[in-house]
Amino acid sequence: MTRLSRPFQRGNTRSRGGLSRSAGSDTLAAYLFIAPAIIGFAVFVGYPLIRSFYLALTKYNGLAEPVFVGLGNFRRLFTTDPAFWPALRATGYLVVLYVPLSLILGLALAMFCNQRFRGVSLLRTLAYLPVVLPAVATITLWKFILNPQVGLLNTVLDRLGLPTSLWLQSPTMAMPSVVLMMLWGVGGTMIIFLAALQAVPTELYEAAKVDGAGPWSAFVRITVPTISPIILLQVILQTTAALQTFNQPKILTNGGPGFSTSVLMLSIYNNGFPNLGRIPQLGYASAQVWVLFVIIIAVIALAAKFTSLWTYSDNTPD
Amino acid sequence: MNTKLIGAAALACAGLLTLSACGGSDSGSSDGPVTVTVMTWESTQTNAVIKKALASFVDPNIKVELLDTPSGQYGDKLSSLTQAKKLPDLFWCGNDTEQQYTQQGLLVDWTSKLTGDFGPDKFVGSAIENWKTADGQMGGLPSLMNTYGLWYNADAFTAAGLQIPKDGWTWDEMYAAATKLTGKNGAKYGLVADQLTGPDGPFTMSMYAVSAGGAPFTDNVNHPTKAEADAKYTEGVQKLTDAVKNGSVAPPGYDASNAQSLFAAGKVPMMFGGQWLAAGFQVDKPKVKYGFAPFPQVTTPATLYDSVGICTPQYTKDQDATFKVLQYINTKVWDAVLPESPVAPPAYTPAQASYFDALTKAQQTTVVDTVKADLAAEKTVGVRFTTQWAQQVGDLTTAEYQPILSGKKPITNLPSYIEKINALIKSGG
Repeated sequence: MTRLSRPFQRGNTRSRGGLSRSAGSDTLAAYLFIAPAIIGFAVFVGYPLIRSFYLALTKYNGLAEPVFVGLGNFRRLFTTDPAFWPALRATGYLVVLYVPLSLILGLALAMFCNQRFRGVSLLRTLAYLPVVLPAVATITLWKFILNPQVGLLNTVLDRLGLPTSLWLQSPTMAMPSVVLMMLWGVGGTMIIFLAALQAVPTELYEAAKVDGAGPWSAFVRITVPTISPIILLQVILQTTAALQTFNQPKILTNGGPGFSTSVLMLSIYNNGFPNLGRIPQLGYASAQVWVLFVIIIAVIALAAKFTSLWTYSDNTPD
Repeated sequence: MNTKLIGAAALACAGLLTLSACGGSDSGSSDGPVTVTVMTWESTQTNAVIKKALASFVDPNIKVELLDTPSGQYGDKLSSLTQAKKLPDLFWCGNDTEQQYTQQGLLVDWTSKLTGDFGPDKFVGSAIENWKTADGQMGGLPSLMNTYGLWYNADAFTAAGLQIPKDGWTWDEMYAAATKLTGKNGAKYGLVADQLTGPDGPFTMSMYAVSAGGAPFTDNVNHPTKAEADAKYTEGVQKLTDAVKNGSVAPPGYDASNAQSLFAAGKVPMMFGGQWLAAGFQVDKPKVKYGFAPFPQVTTPATLYDSVGICTPQYTKDQDATFKVLQYINTKVWDAVLPESPVAPPAYTPAQASYFDALTKAQQTTVVDTVKADLAAEKTVGVRFTTQWAQQVGDLTTAEYQPILSGKKPITNLPSYIEKINALIKSGG
């Protein structure tokens, strides 16, 4: 901070005009450098955001001009659409199941991979491998694994004399099965936790050990507080991702059985891009997008609010 | 230094803007022959045969180009091309698409072109009727018929001491057979009938009601004025619900995408399906002896009708040239394609011989008999609404009708479901 301010102070004493030219050029250059990002944001985020809000207030199929219907789409969403509330329920259920499980598993895996033992590098690679594999291919593979009649999972359970399940074809087991598949990619969560764990000073653990703290006590009193900002980050990231889940239910179940896995993103897609060459309902889908947008903002704000109550922050000035 | 930086940044911006402006645009027309583009949803192998057949189309003023497009996600592709106004001159379309796009004024109306040897009387009657919009327009021509029936594992029937399904057998006989076949030879269910338990189930159930002398689920799938569930219809739903409950029929939500391979492996003894499966069975050779029977009946035969076709966008460059190619596909191309892959009987009746010849040659006689019976059936019901609000009916079916079949809601809820559909019909979505 001090180093950056010096040239300005120096210039100020020499020539006011020289400073203006130099500062002005720097400012212009800065604006030009960030221009691509600003233009990209305006064109690909800002404009679509405003446009989608306008479309949410219209009846629009992408073929004819939009017809303004006011809050008609929202009224239909909340009052007559038989798919909307089940979609909200399915989305909420997925978030409640997936977010805590992914955090717990990711952290547990990271702690295990943070130990020093032979083969730990291989284990870390294997844990992260599913993240780099093509999503559609792995989801399709899981569809075969979870097939109740010829799938690998039921075959193994059957051989072991354990009860089998209809998995994706059962209204009660479909969403847990989708979540099970999603946890396959928990390596992404693990890698961030691993980085956080490796940044925890070892002296803290040594001091705790001297004071007679056990592993659980060290975890609760040292590890969790120290990595709590990362936990907060993960809560926000995982919640956002879960609310926008699309690939897994689309490929595994297409929302079924019934509406049991028909999450909001899938419902939006089906209205915006219906199959069989049907006419899209882009205005209605836009209204759904805005409802999802508001939900995401609200959920993240709540998550951040509650998580920040126990988040440890080391931002005290020197 | 700053000047250089500013220059580099400006160059980067210009590059970005140039890239973003690189949208596709139509190339200008020339004085040469007009090119008619064709897009199908067929497999690579079938497209190769179609391409070969189209090569025989000779007209010095017309060049035909079959677009090389993968068959997957055809619906998505169609939506994108429609919104970009880049549809090819001729594209494969379903009855739903034809009806909806024509009502939006997107397709060329071919009604006046159907004359003489290529007149409407040369097509299957129900297909022509259903490709007309409420105001009599035809935004495309039906090309292939979809007929439906029941695929059965003859070996399983014989082993269980059951009579092989045939023309005239009843719904009660079908459910009794399903019960007896359940659990035999690794078969979890005796009958897999996605068309009865899936989103189109209420329409398929019309067959039961109509066959018993009752009313269909709706009076017209293209221009409906009402939906209803009379006593006969309700009786059919009750029987299906009972069969789902006793575990002999696969419940709503059953993933039928593997049903064909499970049938071929002998693990599904009966399944509802279209005639097009015959072409796949000819290649994959199921392990079991199989056959294709008409749908069961109560007192009189009733079946489903459906057809697919070929549509043309309003902005096609040369309507006459496009129609010549369309006519060539309907009258000549199937003769080359169907002997190699007998997927469906053509809607243009003079071209049907090649389809039936191919099946007869492959000894698929039960398929020939059933398809012929279906095409000649007097009582037919549509497979689903083709209206713009059809998707909302699908959602209502998932929310209200399927839970009745699963036993989660009582059958007394059926009138409430019908009432909601009638409200949709009345409001036009």
